[in-house]
Amino acid sequence: MKLGLFLLLVSLALEAQGPVPRLAPDLKIVEASGKATMLSAFRGRVVLFAFISTQCAHCQRASTVFEQLSHEFRDHLQVAEVAFDQDADTTVFAKRFGLSFPVGIGTSEVAHDFLGIARGERLGTPQVVVIDRSGVIRAQSERLGSPILQTYDYLRELLKALIKLQVTR
Amino acid sequence: MIDHSLTIPPMVALVFHLKQGFWLYGWPMIIGFVTILGYQALGRVVMMGAAKWPVVFALASVVSMISLFGWVTMVRFIGMIPLYGCGVGLASAMMSRIYAVTMPIHPKLKMPIIRVIWRGDAEGIQKLQQALRARV
Repeated sequence: MKLGLFLLLVSLALEAQGPVPRLAPDLKIVEASGKATMLSAFRGRVVLFAFISTQCAHCQRASTVFEQLSHEFRDHLQVAEVAFDQDADTTVFAKRFGLSFPVGIGTSEVAHDFLGIARGERLGTPQVVVIDRSGVIRAQSERLGSPILQTYDYLRELLKALIKLQVTR
Repeated sequence: MIDHSLTIPPMVALVFHLKQGFWLYGWPMIIGFVTILGYQALGRVVMMGAAKWPVVFALASVVSMISLFGWVTMVRFIGMIPLYGCGVGLASAMMSRIYAVTMPIHPKLKMPIIRVIWRGDAEGIQKLQQALRARV
């Protein structure tokens, strides 16, 4: 009985990640050109943010979806990504997929800390985070990834809801 | 994890989950079923000895292409394996009830059409056996 409870608590601890909603921690997005932007600088706009691996096919597909959404909601939405795979060439990545939003370079530790996941835990990519205008995380991928947060249709509705919510407040 | 206080039309999520459900669970079953159906039908057409070699070649090529295409699209996660197995099992069970597959010439269309002779079809089996004896 006690062992079962212990195992349950251990498994819950392993699954733990930051709660939603919560205030987004600040983060410095450093692009390959050296240009640095703080995530908090986007406050006032809805932010679609993702930690990606430039080699991951899901991240590549999701990035093109994000690009499409960034044009569709250009007045209200800011998209940004941080690649945390080793030797990530974000310039080539952005050019290859025609991305007009900032793609920074980061580390796995930065991603884990931002997402509220214990360092060393395996992460599924992309890790998508949607932040409202006041800087609160309103959606975040599960630790091993959430395909629903990579689909155009769902993200579009989610962003519309967030944009509308801010206007009526 | 999504903040449930947000009002997102449930239909969008439902469509997503239905699509995902199809690709993760329905698709492997279909692939397993079609693969076995295709190979068994091919085997039986070949065994009948009535089909010309280009037909056999084309049929075999198409069946193996479908099978490989299915594998390429379905090997995503381990949960797909049991449903692939179910598809294979279902097709094998169905094919075990089939006595033969023939391709007689349709009297009006003047082209070969696939005809399945089931194990319970005594008359069909008898006719087929007579036709085979006559050919020998």
